[in-house]
Amino acid sequence: MRTAQETLDTYYQEMRGRALALAADFDRIQRSAGSDKVMTDPRLANLKKCFEVLLSGKENRAAQMQMILSDQTPGPK
Amino acid sequence: MRYIDPHIHCVSRTTDDYIYMSRAGVVAVSEPAFWAGYDRSCAASFGDYFRHLVDVEPKRAAKYGIDHYCWLCINAKEAENVELGREVIKLIPPLLDKPTVLGIGEIGLNKNTPNEITIFEEQVELAAKYNQLILIHTPHLDDKHKGTSIICDILKNDSRIKPERVLIDHCEEHTIRMARDHGFWAGLTIYPVTKVTPARGCDILETFGPAMICVNSASDWGESGPHMLTDTAREFRARGHSEAAAVDVFYNNPCRFFGQNPKWKHAPIDTSRMGTTSRVL
Repeated sequence: MRTAQETLDTYYQEMRGRALALAADFDRIQRSAGSDKVMTDPRLANLKKCFEVLLSGKENRAAQMQMILSDQTPGPK
Repeated sequence: MRYIDPHIHCVSRTTDDYIYMSRAGVVAVSEPAFWAGYDRSCAASFGDYFRHLVDVEPKRAAKYGIDHYCWLCINAKEAENVELGREVIKLIPPLLDKPTVLGIGEIGLNKNTPNEITIFEEQVELAAKYNQLILIHTPHLDDKHKGTSIICDILKNDSRIKPERVLIDHCEEHTIRMARDHGFWAGLTIYPVTKVTPARGCDILETFGPAMICVNSASDWGESGPHMLTDTAREFRARGHSEAAAVDVFYNNPCRFFGQNPKWKHAPIDTSRMGTTSRVL
């Protein structure tokens, strides 16, 4: 099985590309008409919470981010 | 290597996909009944769709050396129309004895509404009455966690339903534990934009272990494809997992779940003599 170093070496370029793509997504929204209002959209707020998880250094980041992006209200009776 | 795609909507795919699957080593597929991308106007449309699944698609697949199996139901999205749902459910029992029908599916929830839950429960009742395997569709995106929770609660509270005869599909990082802890099979759908990428699929296999997990492409009319299954197998091997481990995940696991229906013809491969050495591609 791969070591952590080998894993990083394998995925780094993809990770770099995905990070840049996300930054460009935010730039695209910001330079579009009406960006002031959209920047407070709850979906973007949730994404920003996800980034905090990403930078937290804790494990299970994907599962934690999934829960931030999930409807957690009670189901119908 | 031989593959099975345990969830693919061949009615929405081109013949090129059958050629690809045949070349790649896919020997069998299972096709659940689903939403066609538009709401159908009447129950008769489902009658024609079921005929396509039961009669037409197996012949199309056979030309490429692929065994085609299917599942019947009204999908969660159109189940919002309860009256239509009940009309469609009446069409199903006479077809359950057809030689390639594996069970009831993919039933489940879409937006987690009371109407969807009503028809879901009625289709669970149908499966229990006719002792059928069940294939579950869990909702997409924000609705997935809540919907999976509702589905698991309904199933585990019905003593007639044996968990090992149910596959909870489209599991992700935050729902797979729910399915597995209740003793259900879990499906991983490699469908990058709305579900799981090949790398995340392999992460889940490594984190939770491969037992009772079926990996599928769920290829349909959206951005998807049968190569997602084989790409995931490549990623799995590239990480150093042995051929035997790959066969166990991508061929034997579907055989184990589907093999609970005697109509399923494929048996798990004995991997004990296969190479256990890892290979980094």
